[in-house]
Amino acid sequence: MLKKARITVAFLISTQLVGCVNLGVQPWERDLLAKKEMALDSEGIDLGLDDHIYFSKEATSGGRAFAGGGCGCN
Amino acid sequence: MQLIYKNALTNKMRKTANVNAALAAATCTLLGTSAVVQADEGVWEMDAALLYYGETERVTAVEGVFSAKKDFGDEHLFSTKITADSLTGASASGAVAQPNAQTYTRPSGKGQYVVATGEVPLDDTFHDTRAQLESQWTQPLWNDMRGSTGVHLSKEYDYLSIAVNGSFAKDFNQKNTTVSAGLSLAYDTIDPEGGRPVAFSEMVIDEGQFANEEAYQAAFDATRQTGTDDKTTVDLMFGMTQIINRRMLMQFNYGLSMSDGYHTDPFKVLSVVNDQGLTQSLVHEDRPTERTRHNFYWQTKYALDVGVADVSYRYATDDWDVSSHTIDSRFRFNLSDITYIQPHFRYYQQSAAEFYQPFLIEGTTLPTFATADYRLGEMTAYTLGIKYGMKMPSGNEWAFRLEYYQQDPKNAGFDEPGALKQLDLYPSVKAVIAQVSYSF
Amino acid sequence: MSTGYFTIVKKGDHMMGRFSAMASPCELLMETQDPLLANYLTSLAYKETKRIEQKFSRYLPNNPMANINHSMGKAVAIDAETFRLLEFANSCFELSDSMFDMTSGVLRQAWKFDGSDNVPPPEAVQALMPYIGWKKVKYNQSSITLIKGMELDFGGIGKEYAVDCVANMCTEYAPKTSVVVNFGGDIQVTRARHNSQPWYIGVESPEDDDKNTTHTLKIISGGLATSGDARRYLLKDGKRYSHILNPKTGYPIEKVSRSVTLAAPHCIQAGLLATLALLKGSDAEVFLEQQDVKFWCYR
Repeated sequence: MLKKARITVAFLISTQLVGCVNLGVQPWERDLLAKKEMALDSEGIDLGLDDHIYFSKEATSGGRAFAGGGCGCN
Repeated sequence: MQLIYKNALTNKMRKTANVNAALAAATCTLLGTSAVVQADEGVWEMDAALLYYGETERVTAVEGVFSAKKDFGDEHLFSTKITADSLTGASASGAVAQPNAQTYTRPSGKGQYVVATGEVPLDDTFHDTRAQLESQWTQPLWNDMRGSTGVHLSKEYDYLSIAVNGSFAKDFNQKNTTVSAGLSLAYDTIDPEGGRPVAFSEMVIDEGQFANEEAYQAAFDATRQTGTDDKTTVDLMFGMTQIINRRMLMQFNYGLSMSDGYHTDPFKVLSVVNDQGLTQSLVHEDRPTERTRHNFYWQTKYALDVGVADVSYRYATDDWDVSSHTIDSRFRFNLSDITYIQPHFRYYQQSAAEFYQPFLIEGTTLPTFATADYRLGEMTAYTLGIKYGMKMPSGNEWAFRLEYYQQDPKNAGFDEPGALKQLDLYPSVKAVIAQVSYSF
Repeated sequence: MSTGYFTIVKKGDHMMGRFSAMASPCELLMETQDPLLANYLTSLAYKETKRIEQKFSRYLPNNPMANINHSMGKAVAIDAETFRLLEFANSCFELSDSMFDMTSGVLRQAWKFDGSDNVPPPEAVQALMPYIGWKKVKYNQSSITLIKGMELDFGGIGKEYAVDCVANMCTEYAPKTSVVVNFGGDIQVTRARHNSQPWYIGVESPEDDDKNTTHTLKIISGGLATSGDARRYLLKDGKRYSHILNPKTGYPIEKVSRSVTLAAPHCIQAGLLATLALLKGSDAEVFLEQQDVKFWCYR
């Protein structure tokens, strides 16, 4: 019961944020955001390696990417 | 006035002392730009990395990755990655420590191992090599909508995993908001050496009670199921990326993962102890055949004047009753135009699965499912690391990463009978991670 | 729209910003319909161009260039940007067998290329030769020392350098917008237009400015520069003296092409290669042919 409530709350919080249409920048204000290190996948190799380590040593996986790990290490 | 000479680009062999090439290099140094070819034309961006993972006295792993990406123009992107890893060393079998030396059978049935007094039993025959290949293709579809699809293949000695994925992403609000939805289907098969154990069957240990080798083998085989088993996983992911202001962007993901099939670890056991805490026998574990997981993920990236701050929080919960919180943060400090340093801190906390128990008590009813695998128990873990990166004059980049990862399993509320009270049933696992990467 | 410094004009499928700097008409063609973006990029371009002009112009008193040229033989402190340009000039000096020499500017005291027949007497030219010679310049990352009477002249690369700097700036602030930076024929296109359409650039005929353009080039991205002696020369006894001077002799190079137009990834690279070609006199075409670049040569 409590768990269901928790999931619902988390869901609602996430959907509220879709209403943030006033946030953002003009095309010419993207100087800092365009830097390579600001990309969400900028350290893809490191993140992939870390995901693999934590998938095999912990019970939770996913979040940033699909949860299915696809290896026998857990 | 007439045009005397007009030259079209030909494929002639370059003569020696090509002034243009030298001038191109001098220009790059002056303007601080990288190689001649415009990104639009599509160069392969490649990354290679080698990682070493070493626990004190337990598992050691070496993993190598090579990835290549190319933009074929007009946002048609292809990326591929090949990974190979090799594990050796010992990992906890799930049995509890005992005040006297114990002997165990290896999971494959061949040979035994002895555990010293008071130590957590580790099975050290664990070594495996794995190879993985994945590829992803992304391209624009209709107005502001992108599609992506990919495959994933992983093979090791006793485990095969195949997965396909597909997703859509759409931009809104002058590309300040991006909403995406994705689906992944995975099919795994497992065929461990020695066969999969029958749930809760006793581990057969040769203490001299068998007449000969065949008798031992027969007894061992009786605890095994033949054939392979499999597991299918369906993953759904919904995400939103939002630019907040000139310096900050955020991402929110919700993931739903449902898996059906064989979830048990064929190499893990539970100790059956009496009321003195002494082990009477060892039985193989058993996990449910279904699992549904929910994941909520939030990440923020902030552009500082000196670098980038990256913080994320993940909350996960599932129907095995495991719920976890993860905080992951990285702070990049640019030391110069071409070097940077990036400290990393991660904190993880999980609650125990409902069928987790550190051992079984003799005489009590066998539960439907049970595991003593500490990775499904209550634990906190933290990682502290540092990364150093430097860019070469050629534009290629080296990076070095060193991290310390410690897991602290905890007692999820189980009484410890007799001798077990004096022993450390929840030892910490400490590991060092070292990585070298090269981008070119 | 126009401020006192630059104007913005809407043109069909793109917008154009215009201003005057470095003794040239300067244009910025931007593939956008957004007047705010066009205004912002043009103002950035104007500020950057003026900055470079103020810093490296030979004609202004008390700017870094004046400090170097009037240093009377003493060492003068320089910044990172000046050092990079000196290193570049050094590379060009070596690549051209010492023909590209930034110290040869003093020869303008003897040679005035106004289309007249005022060829200077040999003594006037010889008197200036001791003050020419890149090898006599001593510099390092933090300072430069010239012999008293020597001068540096960034005129040969200043405009192309400004074009590349402005193009870099446009790429940084508007990475998804295709921009053509055109300072009097020295051009850099930051990136391909949407649908990979080219920009159409007219290359003027060297003979007569009134005539219509004889040649239209299509550029998708990269740099384009034109070098030539079309407007500056002396004519005496039927002999044409081009304004491309040989720093080793002090006299104009013979049989210089009227104009060379060249394409290269960066404007300054195109401009330098064109200059190096002109320095080869009659061998310009052979030299360019060897470099495996796209070029157009008029005589």
